Amino acid sequence: MLNNKDLYRISKRVYREGILQGQLQSAGSDQARFLEKIDKDKMQRSPDIILKVMSAIYIAGLVTIPIFSLITIHSTLGSGIDSSWVTFVGGLSISGFLVMQPAVLLIFSFMFTWGLMSGGPYKWIHTLPLGKKDIERIGFFTFLRSINVQLISMSLVLPAGIVTSIVLVLGSEISVLSLVLLIITSIFLSIINLVFNLSLLVIISRKMAIIMGDQEVNSRKTNIIRVLSMVLYMTVSMGAMYLIQIAIAKIPELYVLQSWSAGTTNIVNIVLSILPFPFAGGYLLTIMAMDVSNVSGVLLGSSILGIILFVFLTYLVYRKALSTLRKITSTELKKYSKEKKEVFVEDIKIKTNGPTIAFLKRDFAIITREMSSVMILIMPFMIPLYMLFIPMEAQQLIGSAGLTFVMIMALFYVSMVSVMLVIGLTNIESGGSTITASLPISVRDQVKSKLPHFLVTIPLALIVAMLTKIGTSQFIIMISFALAFLPVIPIIGLASLFFKARLFGKMKHKIVLEEIKNENKFVKHVLVIVFTFVLMGVFIFISAYGFIYLGIAEVVAAILLYVTYNVMFPKQ
Amino acid sequence: MTTEKSAMVSVTNLTKSFGTVVAVNNISFEVKPGEIFGILGPNGAGKTTTIKQILGLLEQEQGEIRVFGLDPGTDDIEIKRNIGYVSEDPLIYKSMTPRMLFNFIASIRGMDESETTEKLQYYFESFEAVEYYDKLVATLSRGNKQKMQVIAALIHDPLLLIMDEPLTGLDAKSAKVVKEILDLHKERGGSVIFSTHILEVAEEMCDRIAIMDRGKIIAMGTVEELSKMVNKVGADLEDIFLKLTNQDESVNHIVKNLRNMMNCNKRS
Repeated sequence: MLNNKDLYRISKRVYREGILQGQLQSAGSDQARFLEKIDKDKMQRSPDIILKVMSAIYIAGLVTIPIFSLITIHSTLGSGIDSSWVTFVGGLSISGFLVMQPAVLLIFSFMFTWGLMSGGPYKWIHTLPLGKKDIERIGFFTFLRSINVQLISMSLVLPAGIVTSIVLVLGSEISVLSLVLLIITSIFLSIINLVFNLSLLVIISRKMAIIMGDQEVNSRKTNIIRVLSMVLYMTVSMGAMYLIQIAIAKIPELYVLQSWSAGTTNIVNIVLSILPFPFAGGYLLTIMAMDVSNVSGVLLGSSILGIILFVFLTYLVYRKALSTLRKITSTELKKYSKEKKEVFVEDIKIKTNGPTIAFLKRDFAIITREMSSVMILIMPFMIPLYMLFIPMEAQQLIGSAGLTFVMIMALFYVSMVSVMLVIGLTNIESGGSTITASLPISVRDQVKSKLPHFLVTIPLALIVAMLTKIGTSQFIIMISFALAFLPVIPIIGLASLFFKARLFGKMKHKIVLEEIKNENKFVKHVLVIVFTFVLMGVFIFISAYGFIYLGIAEVVAAILLYVTYNVMFPKQ
Repeated sequence: MTTEKSAMVSVTNLTKSFGTVVAVNNISFEVKPGEIFGILGPNGAGKTTTIKQILGLLEQEQGEIRVFGLDPGTDDIEIKRNIGYVSEDPLIYKSMTPRMLFNFIASIRGMDESETTEKLQYYFESFEAVEYYDKLVATLSRGNKQKMQVIAALIHDPLLLIMDEPLTGLDAKSAKVVKEILDLHKERGGSVIFSTHILEVAEEMCDRIAIMDRGKIIAMGTVEELSKMVNKVGADLEDIFLKLTNQDESVNHIVKNLRNMMNCNKRS
């Protein structure tokens, strides 16, 4: 039996294997090229370090919420505001902090823990002369390794925040006993929260690994679930980031905006404080910061009851996480696949389509299964989300000019989506190369199969984005703006596609969509991005002189694009 | 010109460089109808670069290639209608099932549905791969992926087969089926360019062999002609290959050292 130090050392190899598997999953159809790339570039082998440090900093940054809250609690207590309302806002703010911790941990760490949770990296350690218990412990250590920097940040941030608040303000205001209780509570909460968040990360990563990675499952239904899961993940990520900013900005305003009577607030406080996560912890910390003497015995009791429930809940989640870790390190990892129906030779049938439809079908099969390509589906749907989240802030910031600013930002976002689509769609062409290498492929047909993305998906997403503003006074202006720019979307998308093909796929006698000319790849990608944004900028600039001029520019650009299409990809 | 017209593939003075590395250095050969032409050589000899240029996947730098009398640089689509290609490394769309894959291939090639269905059923049965028809390519073993590649290369009944290590990963039965198919293809007047490291297979199957080393063809001919070149009548292809690529002495040295090492470390 090896000691923990040896096992921790071994876990480093498993961890690196997990990172590589996660990267390979993300590379999708571009795996061969990715492997070639990491062979040459050693930096590519440790993509986790930057993300680890970033997430640790982000987690540390969250501490501003409790610090800010505790200081505001202190300053509002003697100002005539009802103490139950102060407790309510304080409890809510610190609960927000407790929710944001696992959210940030998940958003930043998921990419790496997902690779580990597939169970793949543990397969080879079964070939070593190690016992079952040792392998289980390696599994545990590997997981810890994957989030070690974030763990340090997460375990220290709350106690550090509390000590900072004490040093800044609270120290002179509340009793020594309360100060000691406050510090002990923060350390206790930090530990429980850490175990709870870690366990959640294990469970959710495993679930996502099953949804995204189980290669056995291939029904249309599971493909849709897979895409929806990714959309949900992106939505939650964006929403969470947005909420952090809102929370930090709005906390002070909330303290003075008492909306209910003291009686109602007391009842709400008691009910919320019993809820184990995230409120019990938030309330307990607020109560300690307010000095126990300022709070009713019932609320203190309900908070303690909530904390006991939270400890119990953490224990349950921890047990579940341990069992998940045990399962993924086991050789008999259960496959989450349904029984397949038997295939007979009569079931082998060929169904043909025209080349364009065939390319479209192929693209859809790949897009709905591979992490790197799934972004092609997700990104356009982020435009409506952008319209829901960003405008309120932007308009408040810029006043009457806000509307134009928001629309211009939306159009640049569309440009970014177009570039991502172009890169994603051309990457698909580079996959499956041993099959396509000998196929009589007409590049013109390949290009045609990309048209629906630029002609339908992105314009539709922009219209849906505008529909989120129905009922507001800006709706008519915004929808007019969007309709005027609708032809610009396919124009810049296709121009970007042609430009990329020209840079990467120019051969002596033809231009292909695959990346044949890979030298100066980074510079070429930058050029494609700059070209797309500049083109959009030109259209926006022309629109400033009036929509008539924009219309003329659109017609001229469309004609030029059609000529370019015929020259670059002639009929064969 | 007469030979060029009758040849399925004609390569003349072909040279290809990548930066300062000359991958293919002034090589010439022809592949005639009804011929299995082997290309042998150590890793990095330039076999795959030559094959990729024949397919039109890499640009020609110097020299000339003609496939069915056409230039792969300009007429690649026409050429590919009559070529079947098996690559050394089966990079097949792993997110697709064979059903999706063959529908895609048949659509791009504009093949007849019922005729292709019949052929596909035959090949899947021959390779005992029917059960994998609806499984994702990603879940298939190396051997089964190779079977898919081989079927994809044969399904449209091409005139020319270009096979880079086609037997890699195949079980004995499937390997035998592939060899029989290649013989039948040859009997029907088709040609094969066959690149392999398995010298026994090359010896058994190829009518003529070109041995490449560091971008050059250092010998070309039938096995008998090659054995005469190394002054070893009756020598097998392994001996010929090692001799021609100047690896024979190095191999003898390695074997001698291994023997010494193993004798010193005998198992108790």
